[in-house]
Amino acid sequence: MNKLPLLFTGILIIFGAAWLGLVAYPVSNLGHLQPLVDEDTAGYFPPSVAGLAVAGQKVYASAGCVYCHTQQVRLDPTSTDIAKKLGVRQTVPRDYIRDKTAFLGKRRIGQDLSNVGTRIKEANEFHQYLYEPSSVTPWGKMPSYRYLYKLTKIVSQPSADAIQGLKGPHAPPTGYEVIPTEDAKVLVAYLLSLNKNYPLPESPEPTAK
Amino acid sequence: MNQPSHSSHHEGTEVRTLSNEERAAIDASTRGPVILFIGSSIFWLVIGTCLKVVADWQLSFPSLLDFTALFTYGRIEPAQSNILIYGWASTAAFGAGLWVTARLSRVPLLHKKLLISAGIIWNLGVIIGAAGILVGDGNSIPGLDFPGYASPILLIAYALIASWIIITLCYRQPGALFASQWFIFAGFLCFPWLYATANILLVWNPVQASAQGPIACWFLENLTNLWLAPVAIGTGFYIVPKLISRPIASPSLSVLGFWTLILFGSWTGISNLFGGPIPAWMMGAGVAASIMLIIPVFSIAMNLHLTLSGKYEVMSWSPALRFTVFGLYGFFFSGILATLLALPNFHGALQFSDVFAGASLLSLYGFVSMTFFGAIYYIVPRLINAEWPCVTLIRCHFWLVLTGLVLALSALLLGGLLQGFAQFDVASTFRSSIEFVSPFRFLSAIASVLFLLGHLSFAFLFVLMLLKTGKSHSGPALLNEPTENSLETLAV
Repeated sequence: MNKLPLLFTGILIIFGAAWLGLVAYPVSNLGHLQPLVDEDTAGYFPPSVAGLAVAGQKVYASAGCVYCHTQQVRLDPTSTDIAKKLGVRQTVPRDYIRDKTAFLGKRRIGQDLSNVGTRIKEANEFHQYLYEPSSVTPWGKMPSYRYLYKLTKIVSQPSADAIQGLKGPHAPPTGYEVIPTEDAKVLVAYLLSLNKNYPLPESPEPTAK
Repeated sequence: MNQPSHSSHHEGTEVRTLSNEERAAIDASTRGPVILFIGSSIFWLVIGTCLKVVADWQLSFPSLLDFTALFTYGRIEPAQSNILIYGWASTAAFGAGLWVTARLSRVPLLHKKLLISAGIIWNLGVIIGAAGILVGDGNSIPGLDFPGYASPILLIAYALIASWIIITLCYRQPGALFASQWFIFAGFLCFPWLYATANILLVWNPVQASAQGPIACWFLENLTNLWLAPVAIGTGFYIVPKLISRPIASPSLSVLGFWTLILFGSWTGISNLFGGPIPAWMMGAGVAASIMLIIPVFSIAMNLHLTLSGKYEVMSWSPALRFTVFGLYGFFFSGILATLLALPNFHGALQFSDVFAGASLLSLYGFVSMTFFGAIYYIVPRLINAEWPCVTLIRCHFWLVLTGLVLALSALLLGGLLQGFAQFDVASTFRSSIEFVSPFRFLSAIASVLFLLGHLSFAFLFVLMLLKTGKSHSGPALLNEPTENSLETLAV
């Protein structure tokens, strides 16, 4: 303990062991997983993701969604995620191979989004929610993402992109409509793509009790 | 400062003293860089707390500042936490670490202009990183949000700063290393390893996302366990003995605490992914390490208690000792809480609740920040040869942050327990988890205003202190009348 080189070597070995276990091991063993082929449809699990949805991950990261929303369905029985219908099975490393960043999250200020694409299937519903969350869930704490939308005057006829059925204090006045920006469109494409309910052999669905 | 308290160290019989001239030469060499680091850390503390106030109020009132992307919760929240980690805590760690290392190695810092440039580059990196998060370039990886273009700047500045610590240690006056030096050395060695690994594998050239979970957890937890904690403990273990003129009670407890902290601390992070997408052996290893972490926690706290026992009353007048001791006991309580929360049943129910936010507040604020406040109260008067100008401001700072801490912690823990129960209970809806926690979030938003007020008094005090540099030499700023004659003439 009285010599610098000894101290240095000790720290190097101990910290290096943890580094090997928690950094090098995942990189070499979990970092090169392949999708599995679905024999019925010749598709892949997890399915490949459309370009729009990939672009949406960037907006998801930039808006910091991960600070309120997790994307993991945890193991039974230490958690009740499956019983609470956040997903039909536990999420495993292979579920994340299509992502650029694993948005696992640390806090559920809002709902888990691992399978939000199976609960909300319409782009318009997502847009309504993102534009004015309090009009859909007044008890919720999600801020509005109005900055992803443009309020414009209807020129000749309503745009096909415009969000339908907006309510609440920020609903467009008559003669105006709310158009999603490119960022809003790709974000919604990403959210619609969130579905991890496909089967994977390493994570069987728990049988009903 | 005129008494030989420095020699009463814990390494046994050998007596090492610094003459006043030597000490003055060392302090003159550290003055510029350390004041720069401490000053900028206080600046970032105020900025970070302002953002924290906004983020905490947004949790109660989501429509606050929701008209622009710049101030959306998902950007304010990572901006405040990264500013507090890299701008405040790490910068204060540089200041304290450099000063303690130079004092204990008994050599002046050489080429301090290079060190000052490193400090400026570091601050530039924090500015660019924080601005990057606010404009939407953040990585959305907790603790690692600074965009890929800001982190190289931080690493370059860091390389210079750490080299100075290591060079100073290598050229120290012959003799054994003190416990403080081991801790500080370990912290400065682990940080670049952590930060470079995480940036390379998660930001610059991300590995497949399936492997990212364990790496991100390893990084975030070790940022506290192996970077901020060792530097804070090392600083505390220097300041406490000096203030009560008594050596660290047990050298062997120091050795035990040091090695077990590195050994178990480096594995605990992975327990935060229990039940998540990681192999089962990692979950087991993480839980085991978190439980074993009580060994360093108890040995460090026990050592501190043995050192202080019978001398606790010094805390009533010395602000430096008061903050440091609160901080080091914060380490004890945050360690116990972390161990409890790693137990799989607690973890499964509470993992995504505010309880974990409370635990991280306790470790980053209750422990690290409080210890560095104590260090700043101790170091600055010695560097600029003046006493703290206003006792009322010190008192405001202490009581505001302590009230804030107790309020925020109780609100987060109680609210989090209810929220976690609703999140775990199959019959409860998600809505009820939000409604249970909501009043408690309001309390913690009030607490963050108290933090801000406390930090503003601290910043104001520091500015007054700088204005006074080299002038008057009145008595030390004591919070209360000492009950006995302290050996330290500068007992702050």
